[in-house]
Amino acid sequence: MVVGFAIVAAWEIVTAAGVVAFRKPIYNALSLVANMLGLAVLFLMLNAQFLFAAQVIVYAGAVMVLFVFIIALMNPESDVALPRRGSEWIYGAVFGVIFAALLVSLLFNRGLTGRPGTLTPEAIAAVGNVQTVGIALYTKFLFPVEVTSLLLLIAAVGAVYLAMRRIR
Amino acid sequence: MPVPAYSFLLLSGVLFTMGAVGFLVRRNPLVVFMCIELMLNAVNLAFVAISRYLNSLDGVIFAFLVITVAAAEVVVGIAIIVQVYRAGRPMDVDDLDLMKE
Repeated sequence: MVVGFAIVAAWEIVTAAGVVAFRKPIYNALSLVANMLGLAVLFLMLNAQFLFAAQVIVYAGAVMVLFVFIIALMNPESDVALPRRGSEWIYGAVFGVIFAALLVSLLFNRGLTGRPGTLTPEAIAAVGNVQTVGIALYTKFLFPVEVTSLLLLIAAVGAVYLAMRRIR
Repeated sequence: MPVPAYSFLLLSGVLFTMGAVGFLVRRNPLVVFMCIELMLNAVNLAFVAISRYLNSLDGVIFAFLVITVAAAEVVVGIAIIVQVYRAGRPMDVDDLDLMKE
């Protein structure tokens, strides 16, 4: 388990670096696909099978297909054509080190202080993972789910409107 | 539990930081979007890890809603990027300052 986690964690960090650092957008997109698949494996290790399926279908499937299609259609030359500015990477690295130090110090100062709930892996396995998530979605979280469906509708209408309109 | 919760949260923090650095440094709008996705994924990992180690399902539901909102955000964002591209403007976030005036 620990060895598996170490392998997936290293995979995640390498592919995330690929997303940030590659100069051609298609390589960034493919790195992001690999990153999302690794994250799906982590979800599986965390006993969230439903989220594993959702991650693979929605992110690695739908969202990344959209990205790759747009890159293939528009063929943007990316930063390759733009003049390089080395200084922004230095500032970015400084920011990243400070930000990561803040996050890590917060994590080790506070720890996990929440009150444990009743849904242990055994309790979830007795009912079934998807069943448990479904019951929670349509009882306790019914209102957020409905609001999200409205948001999706608005996004679909907005995307169609933007695609129809010609800007000068 | 062999893998401690800290390791998942630590990985989540590292991934979020990398996404934030990419968001600040990169100038292609598509790559900036991918870095936002990276950050959202890192937050999802933290949600699911905490939910797992506190024996609750709320974090999983939150992560599910975050995935949905991210999909909606990508659809609208890419529509805007395509419009900018069609208008013949350069693919550089530093040059997209029309709203400033």
